[in-house]
Amino acid sequence: MDFTITEDQAVLTQGVRDYLAGVHAPELLRALDASDSRRSADVWQGLVEMGLPGLLVPEAEGGLGLSLLDGVLIAAELGRAGVAEPLADTALIAAPLLGKAGNQDALLAAIATGEAKIALQHPVNPWVADLNGASHVLSVKDGALLLAENNGRADLLESVDPLRRLYAPVAAEGTEVGSADALLDHAALIDAAQLVGVADAMLEQATDYAKNRSQFGQPIGSFQAVKHHLATAVVKIEFAKPVIQRAAVALAEGSASAPVHVSHAKLAAADAAWAMSETAIQTHGAMGYTYEVDLHFWMKRAWALSGAWGDRAFHLARIDAAVIGGALPIGPGHSFA
Amino acid sequence: MHLAYTSEQQAFRAEVRAWMEANVPKKPLVTLEREDGYHQHVEWERKLASGNWGMVTWPEAYGGRGLDLIQWLIFEEEYYRAGAPLRVNQNGIFLLGPTVMEFGTDEQKARFLTPMAKGELIWAQAWSEPNAGSDMAAITSKAIRDGDHYVISGQKTWSSRASFADWGFGLFRTDPDSKRHKGLSFILFDLNAPGVTRRPIRQLHGDPGFAELFFDEVRVPVANRIAGEGEGWNVAMATAGFERGLMLRSPARFQAAAERLVALFRKHEAAAAPAAREQVMQAWMDAQAYAYNTYAVASKIMAGGHIGAEASLNKIFWSELDRAAHRTAMQLLGASAELRHFDGGALNTWLEGYIFSLSGPIYAGSNEIQRNIIAERLLGLPR
Ligand SMILES: Cc1cc2nc3c(=O)[nH]c(=O)nc-3n(C[C@H](O)[C@H](O)[C@H](O)COP(=O)(O)OP(=O)(O)OC[C@H]3O[C@@H](n4cnc5c(N)ncnc54)[C@H](O)[C@@H]3O)c2cc1C
Repeated sequence: MDFTITEDQAVLTQGVRDYLAGVHAPELLRALDASDSRRSADVWQGLVEMGLPGLLVPEAEGGLGLSLLDGVLIAAELGRAGVAEPLADTALIAAPLLGKAGNQDALLAAIATGEAKIALQHPVNPWVADLNGASHVLSVKDGALLLAENNGRADLLESVDPLRRLYAPVAAEGTEVGSADALLDHAALIDAAQLVGVADAMLEQATDYAKNRSQFGQPIGSFQAVKHHLATAVVKIEFAKPVIQRAAVALAEGSASAPVHVSHAKLAAADAAWAMSETAIQTHGAMGYTYEVDLHFWMKRAWALSGAWGDRAFHLARIDAAVIGGALPIGPGHSFA
Repeated sequence: MHLAYTSEQQAFRAEVRAWMEANVPKKPLVTLEREDGYHQHVEWERKLASGNWGMVTWPEAYGGRGLDLIQWLIFEEEYYRAGAPLRVNQNGIFLLGPTVMEFGTDEQKARFLTPMAKGELIWAQAWSEPNAGSDMAAITSKAIRDGDHYVISGQKTWSSRASFADWGFGLFRTDPDSKRHKGLSFILFDLNAPGVTRRPIRQLHGDPGFAELFFDEVRVPVANRIAGEGEGWNVAMATAGFERGLMLRSPARFQAAAERLVALFRKHEAAAAPAAREQVMQAWMDAQAYAYNTYAVASKIMAGGHIGAEASLNKIFWSELDRAAHRTAMQLLGASAELRHFDGGALNTWLEGYIFSLSGPIYAGSNEIQRNIIAERLLGLPR
């Protein structure tokens, strides 16, 4: 029993954080927002050079062969930086699914080199993110997960998050590579991990603002009401993190209870991020209600990711069946059931 | 990260389980806040000590088992699984014991630790005063040096278990001219010493769970002072440090409550308010999250790390989840919630638990104080 992340994992995570803080700062988000495609080949190329698309691709296919636990740590960094490129979907969700499917060596190798991008379509979402620009689509039919090349032209749906590119779903087709449920669990887990990163970014922005904005002759961060709102948000965020890590381990091990833990992770992360978003805007006052202050990028990402890959009702229903329904052993001694 | 128990850990769990199954009283004890219940709980402490299960995390040299923190978590899980009684010796195990180990002289260790481990002496903590609650540095009770004694005068309050306990440990002002954190000393005293008057205070549930203590020129040997004169504040803060941040409330307690709450919900499901279902799930989720976090902190400490202001996150999380879970139970019970005993005579433990859960956000540093600590020390906001 050891609930720690390794030194290597900490170093990798910090490296990605530092890299993204440099190349993916808020100025970039504003520039992307002003562009037509909202995507940048340069940014993607930089992520490729960092080796990020191949993180979870097996070493034999040119990747780093890391685990889902590494995946959630990196996903949080993508959320923190507000990354717009479809890296999480391809590298952290599709790659491990295709790795398990077998016979996908060429596609995995193309993911590692950054040539392949995989869009994810599942009936739980009324949209497909980054369908345009994707080389392949994973979609769902009768509970099966299908892989096909992407040839379709898709209709753009406008998201409140200016950096999300959503498209209407296309016909599901292709070769079977797994189950719809596996896609949902992996995607909900990575979604949850991004949400805590998004929450951490909003916490940092709100804290900085509270230190620098003065009223009544003192920084607003010295007022206890402001302090306590922020402290309450920190509690929610910090207690979501171990739930996500625990779910990542369960899913990687293929444990039968993994879906319950993924749902717990998604609920905890979405609740934390949503609460943080309201605290962050309140801390900013009217500034927070503008398009000028960067906060809005993360607030909107929090709303989007909270509803994506199974909303509250969806994930609560899975907890309900397991915990109230009695499928999962609960109580002392069952921490890791 | 490896989230599975080793075969040694599983064997250890089996050993604890077997002992608990053979020894935990079949009939629940009377509350330890009442005199008869207090003595039943002391008996239980002695029973635990007879199996060497009293102070599992203490070093063997002091009567413990020298267990690591993961083993402690397993022990606690089995303890709560078996429905074993609350620990009347808690102050000794988690607060005074580690303090004496860290700051005490060899003579003090020999004198105090073994009787503590055996459950022979039960300790009360005496920090708070009528005008020094959250603001503990406002303590005014004095201990004036007179040869090789201190003469203690003043008043302490809210001292848990002091109505019946044997000894107390407290902070007293040994430098009468000092202010705030300076000039305080950490002193142990016999609650039966001449000049000590205890006035039991009825708690919300009606029983005398804590007491006011009046000191009228109580003579205490200087040898009862832990660490240097005037160093009491630092000793007290160390006591309130990692042991308390991690060990004051083990996750098993809340997992047990969540498990019972799920059972209660199933029984009352037909008449439950729509929101109750979600609240019950939240209770399970929060108890689990607290468990994961505690395993993570324990693993971190075992790997040489420390717990700092994060202890404040823990305090808020467990106390608020506990109150919410018990509130949910009270609402599920509806018109039966106010009954102290159910039909058939069984104690309404949800009511008792709810009452006690209301004190969680107050004691051990109120949750407002914890939020101040998080904002100032973790986020770096200005004081
Ligand atoms: C069940 C129980 C057992 C206890 N056992 C012991 C014991 O064994 N030994 C012992 O020494 N003490 C014990 N205490 C006392 C406990 O430590 C104090 O109650 C606690 O420190 C708060 O002090 P207070 O009650 O004087 O409240 P106050 O300090 O008067 O606080 C009242 C309210 O004001 C708020 N407040 C105070 N200061 C601030 C601030 N700076 N910012 C924001 N809000 C603030 C508090 O959060 C609280 O909500 C116990 C208390 C309880 C309820």
